[in-house]
Amino acid sequence: MHRKIPGGEPGIKKGSVMKKTIHFLAIAAVLAVLGCKPSDGKSAAAGQQEPIRIGHSVALTGPSATWGQAEANALKMIVDKINGEGGVLGRKIEVIAHDNRADRLEAVNVAKRLVEQDKVVAIIGPAQSGVANAIREVNNAAKIPVVATTATNPKVTVAEDGKVVPYTFRACFIDPFQGTVAGQFALKDLKAKTAAVLYDVGDDYSQFLGKYFVEAFTKGGGRITANEAFRSGELDFRAQLGKIKTGKPDILFIPTMQKEAALAAKQARDLKIDVPLIGGDGWASPDLIDLAGPAIEGAYFVNIAALEDPAIQDFIKDYRARFNMDPVLPNPLMAYDAMILIVDAIRRAGTTDGEKLKDAIEATRDLQVLTGKLTIDPATHNPLNKPATIQQVKGKDFVYVKTFVTTD
Amino acid sequence: MFFQTVITGLSIGSVYALMAVGYSLVFSVLNFSNFAHGAIITLGAYIAWAIMVAHLSVPFLPALLLSIAGAGFLAFLNERIAYSTLRRRRAPSLYLMISAMGVSICLQNLLYATVGAKLYAIPAVFAQDSFVFRDITVSKMDIFAFWFSTLSIAVLHLILTRTKVGMAIRAASRDMEMVSALGVNLDVLVAVLFFIAGGLGGMAGVFMGIKYMVYPSMGWITNKAYIGAVIGGLGSLPGAIIGGLLLGLLEALVSIASIGGTSLSTFRDVFSFGILVALLIVRPTGLFGRTVEEKL
Repeated sequence: MHRKIPGGEPGIKKGSVMKKTIHFLAIAAVLAVLGCKPSDGKSAAAGQQEPIRIGHSVALTGPSATWGQAEANALKMIVDKINGEGGVLGRKIEVIAHDNRADRLEAVNVAKRLVEQDKVVAIIGPAQSGVANAIREVNNAAKIPVVATTATNPKVTVAEDGKVVPYTFRACFIDPFQGTVAGQFALKDLKAKTAAVLYDVGDDYSQFLGKYFVEAFTKGGGRITANEAFRSGELDFRAQLGKIKTGKPDILFIPTMQKEAALAAKQARDLKIDVPLIGGDGWASPDLIDLAGPAIEGAYFVNIAALEDPAIQDFIKDYRARFNMDPVLPNPLMAYDAMILIVDAIRRAGTTDGEKLKDAIEATRDLQVLTGKLTIDPATHNPLNKPATIQQVKGKDFVYVKTFVTTD
Repeated sequence: MFFQTVITGLSIGSVYALMAVGYSLVFSVLNFSNFAHGAIITLGAYIAWAIMVAHLSVPFLPALLLSIAGAGFLAFLNERIAYSTLRRRRAPSLYLMISAMGVSICLQNLLYATVGAKLYAIPAVFAQDSFVFRDITVSKMDIFAFWFSTLSIAVLHLILTRTKVGMAIRAASRDMEMVSALGVNLDVLVAVLFFIAGGLGGMAGVFMGIKYMVYPSMGWITNKAYIGAVIGGLGSLPGAIIGGLLLGLLEALVSIASIGGTSLSTFRDVFSFGILVALLIVRPTGLFGRTVEEKL
């Protein structure tokens, strides 16, 4: 504690004026640097048109990163292709990607950044339903169309009150369909009469996919012996699995992401639950097999696309050549399709204006995309007639079993 | 099903108990909640993964011991860097707690930035074999973890009761000032303390990594350990063990319960944290706690 000398000590006073000046200059310098906005390409080089910016809200890190990175890679491929062919409306397209970590809060930040700072005309992604739901307010208020890649929950494009979400679309099928495929596959192909479900109550995707499976399975004459849940982030489901075991189901449906599915499979096998396991497209990451080991051998899951699908072989070849690995399906296909959809809509609308672009997307009919012909249903903003594939885990691979056609 | 659930509950509970002991040990002497304990647990798991899978192929038992030592050492470093200065300045527990939180976030993000957020599995040590008795299955890994943890805690007990350092630690948990006045080097004492607590945490991390998987946010499970420690009475080591086991058991039983047909499994965490709140209101000392102190 300084003794207070009346009038102050001259030495200290001088020192503090110097200090204050230095502090002021330092703060001013920092503010000046922060205040400079990064050059956003609006350099008025005469005659040089600025590129069309399309945003990509994607999980580049975190458990969903394998899919996210694949999406980013696929977009690199199609951007190079389109720009090589002359671009869109005479302008190059540019993808601005930000990492949403598959986190709802982070995704809102990413959406705001893309819309307000990067000034994108459309957004591809997110890939997760809960995350896509979270950014709805942002892109709808800004009138920027969003094409979700693999968000399969119906609420993403059709709100609870039945009204379509004006600026949100998707490139994939929806969970009611996926749940039906899983339920009917279990009944018809696996001849199951009873089934148990283990789902994640903290995840929109998981909760609803489980629900649709139960509906389809019981509608087809099956009986559900147990419908157990855990919370996101839990690692141990043996209590729930123990309960499931006593009901002796013919199959176990695990509509979760690959991390929880791997844990559930391991623990189910530990408890000597030996029945077939079925899952949804959340399983389709290659690290499912690394994480689950032999426990997941022979398990089935529904997917949006498969590596063996003849329609996408060229894409697979190009992807392998450029990135030295197999694409982690189905995300890159959906991202690719989403880009084709947006670019086609821009061309038809003749502009990148948000509202006109949205109308053009809604009017998409029989557009040739990677996975077939894409028609958007204006009432739901979902693609009409997208097929589903069934895959099985065999050794270190996902093996294509069949393309499943549902019967109502 | 009931007995199977009891086994499951004890298995989860033993992990909680192991973490709670490390937690309580630090609390009993330094009177603050070491929120960085979760990060040490995570690092223990990563060390095991690194030397068993990623870079070397060290067999299980040596890897376990190396991870325990590694985690202990990291905990010692953690104390040196983040807490020792505050401790010497007699900072209130709140500052130590804030420092701990900072370390926790920092270490977790360091993992994200360096190793990445990918999930990793440590291959099963005992294959998928379990012991089956009537309709109850117990996995070999669980039995080993239970046995090894019991052994370690027995060793800890011996250290605390039979060695000089142990005696000093027990004395410090009563009155740190007095211990220092009596000539014990507090820095050495605290270093040993954190090494032990970190070692126990690292052990818990390895077991968790093998039973489940290895990823940067594994440490959140220490929230459960904290509840276990509070239930048993913060500062009491037997309390931490009992509290952890009890919590695991109760959680498992809640998971299989149902009221009028609707399963309560989704209420598991509501239940766990509800107990924490209720206990802090009704009996803040927990089951075996000593005095009512700041429960920071």
